[in-house]
Amino acid sequence: MTTSQPAVSTAEAVPFNKQPRDWKKIGIIVLFCALPIALLVVFTYLPFFQMCGYSFYKMKYIGTPKFIGFKNYTDIFTRPDLLATLKLSLYYMVGALIQVALALYLATVLAFKVKGGSFFKGAIFFPYLINGIAIGFIFKFFYTRGYVLDSVLQWCGFSLDNLPYWLRDQKVNNWSLVASSVWRYLGQTMILFIGAIMSIDGSLYEAAEIDGANKWQQFKHIILPGIQTILVLNIILSITGSLSAFEAPYVITSGANGTGTFFVQMDKIAHSDQKVGLASAMAVVLLVIIMICALLQKIIMNYLFRDADDGTAKARKHAQKVEKARKKAMRQQNKVAVGAAPLFKNGSSAKTETAVES
Amino acid sequence: MNVKKIAAAGIAAACLISVAACGGNGSADSNNKSGVTYLEIKLGETGKDLKAEITFFNGRTDMGLASYPGKNWESYMKDFNEMYPGIKVKVQTDSNYADSALTRLQANNDSWDVMMIPAVDRSEFSNYFVSYGATEDMDKEIKLANEKAYDGQTYGIATDGQTSGVVYNVKVFKDAGVTELPKTPEEFQAALKKVKENTKAIPLYTNFAEAWAMGAWDAYIGGNATGDPKFMNQVMPHDKTPFKKDDKAPDTHPYAVYKTLYDAVANGYTEEDYSTTDWESSKGRINNGEIATMVLGAWAVPQMKQAGDHPDDVQYMPFPITVGGKQYATMAGNYSMGINKNSDADRQQAAMIFVKWMTEKSGYAKNEGGIPIVKSDDSLPDTYEHFKDVELIVDDPAKEGEEDLFADINSDSELGINNGNGKKIQDIVTDAANKSKTIDQIMGEWDEKWGAAVESES
Repeated sequence: MTTSQPAVSTAEAVPFNKQPRDWKKIGIIVLFCALPIALLVVFTYLPFFQMCGYSFYKMKYIGTPKFIGFKNYTDIFTRPDLLATLKLSLYYMVGALIQVALALYLATVLAFKVKGGSFFKGAIFFPYLINGIAIGFIFKFFYTRGYVLDSVLQWCGFSLDNLPYWLRDQKVNNWSLVASSVWRYLGQTMILFIGAIMSIDGSLYEAAEIDGANKWQQFKHIILPGIQTILVLNIILSITGSLSAFEAPYVITSGANGTGTFFVQMDKIAHSDQKVGLASAMAVVLLVIIMICALLQKIIMNYLFRDADDGTAKARKHAQKVEKARKKAMRQQNKVAVGAAPLFKNGSSAKTETAVES
Repeated sequence: MNVKKIAAAGIAAACLISVAACGGNGSADSNNKSGVTYLEIKLGETGKDLKAEITFFNGRTDMGLASYPGKNWESYMKDFNEMYPGIKVKVQTDSNYADSALTRLQANNDSWDVMMIPAVDRSEFSNYFVSYGATEDMDKEIKLANEKAYDGQTYGIATDGQTSGVVYNVKVFKDAGVTELPKTPEEFQAALKKVKENTKAIPLYTNFAEAWAMGAWDAYIGGNATGDPKFMNQVMPHDKTPFKKDDKAPDTHPYAVYKTLYDAVANGYTEEDYSTTDWESSKGRINNGEIATMVLGAWAVPQMKQAGDHPDDVQYMPFPITVGGKQYATMAGNYSMGINKNSDADRQQAAMIFVKWMTEKSGYAKNEGGIPIVKSDDSLPDTYEHFKDVELIVDDPAKEGEEDLFADINSDSELGINNGNGKKIQDIVTDAANKSKTIDQIMGEWDEKWGAAVESES
């Protein structure tokens, strides 16, 4: 379909969709969409809107809810103990950035022919396959005094007296938790990167090499723009993930000792304090914060990659221009044939589609 | 296109919507459909020919296994079927019971017949459960008839009674030179000190990593610390500063309980790295003398006796607080059994018979180290051999109209007394270890939260 685009130069040349509407096809599309949409609505949107509703009530799981308006929301923003837990997300955000950088590095190496490449890919991806609760238990023992980590460090020449208590010492315990979560998700991020890098046309590297580009330049000008979408996606996923960090602090330290993230706090308020309304409001606030973060990242990424041009932006601009011109021509045509022309010419959506498709 | 496939997809979608649509239908009939009350049932006579299948939902996953060292569910049901061959009891267990049970209740359907009542406000009992009979009459037959009662009706019967004390290892105490059981907080700290100095054992194991084990400290603040049966349900909901140090008797009241923990941590009498404690292995360690004491309910004693080769070394002592020269211990119910109001008449009657059998004939309470619930049975299980001079008291119920006041303040203040909230107690440990707050400061903060909730609820 992209091939037809260069031919479109004037408004008149845009072909109109002359085929009658294929109702059977539409029926199939609707039916195929119905199932996933039904699942989505029933298991995501309905509960979500219900939860938004809960957030305006003072309620327990069992009993009559009492409407209190926005009080739950004002509570969240006036209670320092709740907001302070968001600060812990900063630890996880730093971890997320390290995770993306490390994964990108490993992916760039492993996407090409390397000795034992499949083994390393497998080994690094493996932690992602383990259940999060199991990982929690693994790391609890990993960090226990005199167990795995301490033993390994002792082999390296550290003395036990100089080592901190990894989970007890409030200066390091959050970093210990972050490390476990980086360990777990690194493989997944890396596999996504490898997939994206492998889809880049190999001849580009050859051409670049002939032009005398070194490996770093190849990375900067071929790989990085080529995987831009996946890179942005990975960063957004890991940053939003770090805002809602839960499993590591919940299982390893049960949120005690200054490791209780926003999510862990929410769990306590919802379950042990049975303040369902307040917890729902917290969930809504967290969602809004995550949406703002994702939006900010999108803007920053767009700014950073403004020079990385792979031609799509230009093509899109061109298509917009053509569409504008065509619409203008249409309007003039309609003016001429008022009354005589049919009101709808095969449906308005069909027309725009042919022009913008890229 | 294949019409069949399209139709199948359509049907699947329709099913999905219909599944989502159901749930949340309850009948408005009078709860007890069979009309037979607990007291009218004569075991072995009433409902002898009844044929029914009932579901018993509870949290004892361990008892569902054949490997359970005590008597397991299957064995109990075999005994029950000897008396009532027509009633088949299906046992359903869940390891995340407290949360799952609430979800099951919310559905408000007849997927269960007997359930261990989770955290439900008293005023809501009649919306979910069948009354066993008037509390006044029930009180003559069973202990703790008031615990799950509302408006003069009893909706739950405890499986067994529990008092709280301290699990300790006799041999470690002997080796350390502790000859007499400590009766006051100071004596307790002195005993821990001796253990620390004279043995290799950890004087007090906090089980910090398990929030529920930390939450167990709340169990001592009522009768144990005050000797007053009115304290929990009548005094505390009106007291804006229940956690304050009582200058006249600083070694009593909730303050003394939490200070015991604070001091033990601050003095270094607890495990070195509290953040990596492990519950499962702790049972074996107290059994073989690596741990001297753990502050937990009596239910833990049988488990710790079974966890190693020295069952006789694990014993139970009263919590070290003395009020006016006497030690007290609160007796409270374990989980209570409730009967579904949505079940049909036959199943309700079968359930009622089953509960009565559990209470009177099964021997469950004794087997699990609890106090029998039958009123006429005064015997105490072996666990309580050091409780001879201790007065067992039962908390008085709240005054009329204030049945849910404590629960509301508890939720409002987010302190979660006695509902498994161990976070606040974990904070005591970290503050004591890091010397970041004094016990007076912590109790002051709690009083602030509690006081604010008392004010907003009254």
